[in-house]
Amino acid sequence: MLKCGMSGSQVKVFGKAIQALSRISDELWLDPSEKGLALRSVNSCRSAYGCVLFSPVFFQHYQWSNSVKMNDNDLTVSNLNCKLGMKSILPIFRCLNSLERNVEKCKIFTRSDKCKVVIQFFCRHGIRRTHNVCFQESQPLQVIFEKNMCSNTLMIQPRVLAEAIVLFTSSQEEVTLAVTPLSVCLKSSSDEPMDLTSSVYSEMFVAPDEFDFFQIGVDSEITFCFKELKGMLTFSEATHAPIAIHFDFPGKPMALSIDDMLLEANFILATLADEPSRTSSPQSLCLSQKQKRSDRLGSNSEAGKNVTSKAPECIQRKVAPKRLYPKETLTDVSALENHDSPRMKRANGDLSEVPESSVSNTEKVPGSLNQRKLFILREIAHKLVWGRERERERIPSRQVEWHADSMEPDVGFDLTNHEIMT
Amino acid sequence: MEVVVQAQCPGPSLSLPAAGVSNMVAKLAKACTLRISPEKLNFIVSDKVANGGVSMWCELEQENFFSEFQMEGVSAENNEIYLELTAENLSRALKTAQNARALKVKLTNKHFPCLTISIELLSVSSSSRIVTHDIPVKVIPRKLWKDLQEPAVPDADVSIYLPVLKTMKSIVEKMKNISNHLIIEANLSGELNLKIETELVCVTTHFKDLGNPPTARDAAARDRDPAQMAEVHLDIRRLLQFLAGQQVGPTKAVCNIVSNKMVHFDLLHEDVSLQYFIPAFS
Repeated sequence: MLKCGMSGSQVKVFGKAIQALSRISDELWLDPSEKGLALRSVNSCRSAYGCVLFSPVFFQHYQWSNSVKMNDNDLTVSNLNCKLGMKSILPIFRCLNSLERNVEKCKIFTRSDKCKVVIQFFCRHGIRRTHNVCFQESQPLQVIFEKNMCSNTLMIQPRVLAEAIVLFTSSQEEVTLAVTPLSVCLKSSSDEPMDLTSSVYSEMFVAPDEFDFFQIGVDSEITFCFKELKGMLTFSEATHAPIAIHFDFPGKPMALSIDDMLLEANFILATLADEPSRTSSPQSLCLSQKQKRSDRLGSNSEAGKNVTSKAPECIQRKVAPKRLYPKETLTDVSALENHDSPRMKRANGDLSEVPESSVSNTEKVPGSLNQRKLFILREIAHKLVWGRERERERIPSRQVEWHADSMEPDVGFDLTNHEIMT
Repeated sequence: MEVVVQAQCPGPSLSLPAAGVSNMVAKLAKACTLRISPEKLNFIVSDKVANGGVSMWCELEQENFFSEFQMEGVSAENNEIYLELTAENLSRALKTAQNARALKVKLTNKHFPCLTISIELLSVSSSSRIVTHDIPVKVIPRKLWKDLQEPAVPDADVSIYLPVLKTMKSIVEKMKNISNHLIIEANLSGELNLKIETELVCVTTHFKDLGNPPTARDAAARDRDPAQMAEVHLDIRRLLQFLAGQQVGPTKAVCNIVSNKMVHFDLLHEDVSLQYFIPAFS
């Protein structure tokens, strides 16, 4: 259960966070906890993960609680598990400047009996706008990545990075960041040999003294996706806080983060591995679902500890599992400690079970082939095997109700959740 | 073959006009030819079928822009270099040079011939940032040079000064929604009309008191009736492409019409001269 409220200017920041996360994926998890409200998003090929955590102090008021249900003489404490389609929620936070001007207060609360999130804007002139967004029950994913353990950390003002970004055309998918203790270079990355039709190769050298914080432990050159960086950048400009970039060697995920008193944003991006026969798909991130609360009552803190106390990074290149899903998910339950798993080569089709953190209900990261199909199959199989209650396969729908003297009640419309439909 | 070009502070005077020119060219055609000779730089778009027969010739005197200009052509007698490149790439690269402290352009060969543009930017913390762009180019062999020479200025029936290009552009844009076929006509009394005709509607926009350039008036005084209109039927999209590229108003803009054959636009933007030829609708 979630209940929170914010002012007009806070809505702008909240909306910017949603817009930044929309660059990563078409789905958003709303994950309230005692630490605050987290918005999470993972892209379909698991190469980018974004999480923006708004602390309770960010809101004008913030209330959260677990829901406790009786189920066959068993008390189950479950989390909100709310997954929204970006298509439903992004239009609500579309014109942020006008929202900032017109909205005096915004309330967000959930109605778990109806699986809905209600977003209410109390605007000027007595206008109240209510959006009911249906959500899908789905446990949010979290990434396991210890950014403080990275050997290279850079902290830079967003404006400087924004100037660099202008250099690269939107047709370029990837950029390379090359660092040495003396210089930092951002350049366009391209595998194919140049010809007349290829785009411009650009590079920009930035002196170390332009960074707020500059610590380079190991010289490295990492290549990552440009799109997600841009998303993060627009968000950081709204928060006026410097961006910290944490990274190591190629292949290991990198983190872009903003740490403020009121919020904490982390974007974890996979980087291209430094293999001679490398292909363009970056390695997947290691993800886990939060512990299913029903399994262990009152052990929330323990679950939290379980997830984060593991060894820092988890670099795995997953191969398309060729087994049937139900069988696979059952084997996931085993507790695994091995985090020093070597990087697996995609080429030799290694099918060995990929180690993951020891949390039940772990989300298996799909292999690089046919990822979308596998992801969908897994979702369905998961539901079959674990028999989640009140599973909503229905398409989320959005209804807008206008309450004001002069306004007519408005339409309700359906939006398809294309993820399940394909 | 070598080109080394440098422009220095304050604010390299090259960037703005050249960026403007390459921007203009980028809107006209995807690929364009850059001709480098000891005194000038030319941007050339030749009249291929792909462009709809449109051609463009743009000239800049190098001494107006660069503090240092060094070039070495293919050979002593043919001291010129012809490069084919994508205009959009060049305009993007030059855009970053807007607040640059220094700019250097070099012809290099890094696995592939490139025009390397090095820009030195001055950042807030007073440390300089160096940005390099490598624009892929293709060197055009000498045997194709003859197709890329300056087109002859045609013997025009009417020459007239153009009205404010922005106004013209907004009118032509609206006309485009009605028809693809535009008629442009002008006379020696300073009148220019833009006409479109469909079954349902005819729209004409009249521009008056535009004035005619002196040379035209003298030749015409001989035998042409000042009120008589010379007209050309054009593809409206070609005209719009040309007008869309004009961001800044030119110092001088002349339109020469060869009845039923073509329209020739002759513009002067500060130190950059631009000529644009649109053939009649076939």
